[in-house]
Amino acid sequence: MLRLMRVTGSSLSPEYQEGDFVVIATIPFFLNRIQVGDVVVFRHPEVGLMIKRVSGILETEKQYLVSGTQPYSVDSARFGPVSSDALIGKVIWHIVKPAR
Amino acid sequence: MIFKLFESLDRHFGVERASAHCDIPCGIYDPSGAQIAALTVVRMVDLMAELEAKGGPKDPAYLNSMARYVAVKEEHAEKAKAEVRVIWGDFLKPTNVEKFTETHELVHKIMLLGSKSRQTADRETAVQFVEAINQFAQVFWDAKKIKTKVAKAPYAPALEMVYPDL
Repeated sequence: MLRLMRVTGSSLSPEYQEGDFVVIATIPFFLNRIQVGDVVVFRHPEVGLMIKRVSGILETEKQYLVSGTQPYSVDSARFGPVSSDALIGKVIWHIVKPAR
Repeated sequence: MIFKLFESLDRHFGVERASAHCDIPCGIYDPSGAQIAALTVVRMVDLMAELEAKGGPKDPAYLNSMARYVAVKEEHAEKAKAEVRVIWGDFLKPTNVEKFTETHELVHKIMLLGSKSRQTADRETAVQFVEAINQFAQVFWDAKKIKTKVAKAPYAPALEMVYPDL
């Protein structure tokens, strides 16, 4: 399954900017395994859908460490690892907002 | 082309948002980004005028410099607008707006001045853009109950800016 989403915020800048579109491949991940470096969308209980980059995988617990590129990014350093149940999908196509 | 197609889909049907945001949970807001971006717009207008005043041929070197000034002006005018939108939309609460009833009009004015600063090379418009964002900074710091001071920016263009008095 594919889903189209739009990026808000700037914690993944400069690669991902506010207003960019992403197409994500949703589960099943066994066909499309999550790897370190992948950009994933997951559901955070307070913020809702979030997009971050996978910076580590805790294989035995099926959990993922996620991070942004900006020092003020809110990520696993703050809210801990993301469980596989919370993962929605990984970015397979990034459509960059053109400069105006 | 593809982006425009998706943008049209978003406009008509609404596309889900995935947040790379940091400010909802971490609460870091500061109008200084908008102020510096607006100052940059004035600086670019000044550099454009200086380059034009030098005269000389409209050769590739001239065109290259002018294009870079325009590009930076565009980028920073839009950045200033975006920074103000985030504070206005995510930080300011109805109670803050009750005290400064003109806040919504001020934000709208900033949006218009930012757009006009992109469309033109008019210094007066760019200066008004800075001044309006200074007013917005005043509203912001007051909402944070932090005193402010007015001082000239320590770099060109040395316009008066509103700073938190920490």
